[in-house]
Amino acid sequence: MTSAQISRAARAEKAAFVLLWIAAGTVILPVLAILVVMAWRGAGGLSWSFVTSTREGLLPAIAGTVALVAVTAAIAAPLGVAAAIYLSEYARSGRLVRFIRLSIVNLAGVPSVVYGLFGLALFVTLMRFGRSLLAGACTLALLVLPLVISASEEALRQVPRGLREASFALGATRWQTVRRVVLPNALPGIITGLILAVGRAAGETAPILFTAAFLSLSHPFPTSVFDPVLALPYQLYVMATEAPQVSEVQKWATALVLVAVVLGLNLAAIILRARLRRRRW
Amino acid sequence: MRRTRQAFDEQLEQLEQRLLEMGEFVEAMLEKSVRALTSHDVELAREVIAADDVADEMDISIEQQCMRLLALQQPMSRDLRTIGTVMKVISDVERIGDYSVDIGRTAIRLADTEYFKPLVDIPKMAELVRTMLRQALEALVARDLEIVFRVVELDDKVDRMWYRLQEELEHIMEQRPEVVRQAVPLLLVARYLERVADHSVNIAERVAYMETGRLETLAASHRADYQPEGNQPAERPEAKPE
Amino acid sequence: MTTQADTPHILRPAGEIKLETRRLALFYNEFRALKDISVAFPARRITALIGPSGCGKSSFLRCLNRMNDLIDGARVEGEVLLDGTDIYHSEIDIPLLRRRVGMVFQQPNPFPMTVYDNVAYGPRLHRAPGRADLDEIVERSLRSAALWDEVKDKLHQSALDLSGGQQQRLCIARVLAVEPEVVLMDEPCSALDPTATFRIEELMLELVERYTIVIVTHNMYQASRVSHYAGFFLMGELIEYGETVQIFESPKDRRTDDYVRGRFG
Repeated sequence: MTSAQISRAARAEKAAFVLLWIAAGTVILPVLAILVVMAWRGAGGLSWSFVTSTREGLLPAIAGTVALVAVTAAIAAPLGVAAAIYLSEYARSGRLVRFIRLSIVNLAGVPSVVYGLFGLALFVTLMRFGRSLLAGACTLALLVLPLVISASEEALRQVPRGLREASFALGATRWQTVRRVVLPNALPGIITGLILAVGRAAGETAPILFTAAFLSLSHPFPTSVFDPVLALPYQLYVMATEAPQVSEVQKWATALVLVAVVLGLNLAAIILRARLRRRRW
Repeated sequence: MRRTRQAFDEQLEQLEQRLLEMGEFVEAMLEKSVRALTSHDVELAREVIAADDVADEMDISIEQQCMRLLALQQPMSRDLRTIGTVMKVISDVERIGDYSVDIGRTAIRLADTEYFKPLVDIPKMAELVRTMLRQALEALVARDLEIVFRVVELDDKVDRMWYRLQEELEHIMEQRPEVVRQAVPLLLVARYLERVADHSVNIAERVAYMETGRLETLAASHRADYQPEGNQPAERPEAKPE
Repeated sequence: MTTQADTPHILRPAGEIKLETRRLALFYNEFRALKDISVAFPARRITALIGPSGCGKSSFLRCLNRMNDLIDGARVEGEVLLDGTDIYHSEIDIPLLRRRVGMVFQQPNPFPMTVYDNVAYGPRLHRAPGRADLDEIVERSLRSAALWDEVKDKLHQSALDLSGGQQQRLCIARVLAVEPEVVLMDEPCSALDPTATFRIEELMLELVERYTIVIVTHNMYQASRVSHYAGFFLMGELIEYGETVQIFESPKDRRTDDYVRGRFG
């Protein structure tokens, strides 16, 4: 290559690098903006009493979110992981499998408000759960199911084929191989996927709008799964739309708490995955 | 684009070429030694004796080349048999060189002796034996089993000549004891020529092995049940089914 | 000059035959990977399968313990007889088959567990042996695989900390722990350096006193060093099979000859 060609290549390289760096940087801006605006507007309203008080504060919402998310996970996790195991380890290629995968992709694309309506129709009305923690959790579980299945399948696929072959060659059945070799090694990825799913569920509003959420001053905490429940996103929605007497600061503070919860969960997922990975491989 | 292992093929060709050269060199030694004997040429005889050093060097050098190929090229199948054959054959060729030296020494010893009759049978035998050597080496390079067969047939002829010569010389010695001093060395020379023929047949048998993968005794004289007076056909080496 | 269509030169070894195939054919969907293979493997001998890349020798090996069942679209015709019984018979217990016919792979694939757990994996699958029994099995297997001395103080460390050669011997120990009768090896030394390779070859020569070994190797010099019988595969067919000495010294088929002399292609 001539020196003219070299310097032209070098300049193109530099230009590409700068442009790509700018594109990547552009992503950070909105995130920073959101955080900054929320902190600026809401930090003032953050106080221990606000977060923990029952009447005026966020405690019911936080407790409700926790409960909701726990039941959602309890439903989505076994279902999703089992489905992933079937698809990854057992399914032979064919029409049925392709159809299942297509369904999963479609499920992922359904708008969350549609989930909410569907949940209203099926869980609240048809199955007579009523507006309840259970109905909400079921609806949310459906919402996050594709996430769980995808993440779990990906984690299962990461397990090297050689390990399965070694297990089979020693006379293991498929289930023995899954239980003893594949699943333990895919666990970090599966758990990460679950945590991300949980984080998603924690932040959804529309699905719980018709199925679970309520605002009641007399029964702020659910006593059974059939009780309706308050959740942070709903709280925020109500504050923003219907309650004129709630101060701006409080609205932003609620938003801040919600974002903190979701971010916190995501962070936990990342850290957990990193630590599990280091230990395994 | 070079063939697979072309370098190795070239080395094998070179090896065979060097073997041929050694064979030609030793054949010349044989020719000269017999000529020195028949024409009382002491200088020629001395040339032959000196040439043996060269023959020995060729032997060692070709052997080293064989070892090197074995170590470095991991030869298999017929390549391996070729190299093994070359290693054995140079031994036979080197022995033929030694016999030429023995004939040369005899020539020097008999330099001043007038022969009781002109030497006819010995040069004839020598001619045949040289042909055997030449053909055996040709067979190796050409991989031709037909030539091997011809060499084996010639060996029978040479054997018969040897026994006739032996009878004749013994008879002469009984009749005229004063010629013992030349008859005995001449008998030995005939014996040397018969041994050279033997070594040539060895070479031919090894060529058959190289081609067929089977080591067989082809010459009648190599078989355990050999009767020297009888007229036995040699065994035809069987070609490999391809 | 014989044509390709002539009968291949296949020797039937004298003595006890442990494993043999009869007219074995393998299809991947429509593609025929193996054509009409009939060959007999003698008991307690090492048989090597050689041939150029992609000629089907690994696929063939995997038919011997039904590992091809795991591949979508794979179909087998013909018979594979272990001690005279067809392993493709519908009532065969496949996990049991795979215990009797073990396999070592090209890339060492120890489980991400301790050395001990790796070797104990097989025995634990089929029954729950007591601790003392398991200790004994683990030690015996590691000794048979010539690995005990190197790992006896590291039994509870991760198997992934071992060197490549050690990992491969661990995989061998793992197979031996289920007490197989046949050990299949699919290019076991390909990923190893020469020293490790020689150690495993030495190990094979020890193991053959008790096990029947069939090894696929693209290194024909390895085949010539360790095997008693050798088979030459080309494009899904078995061209020639006989005693190793004969295959390498004077092959009967021209194609085998070209291959062992390195004059292919």
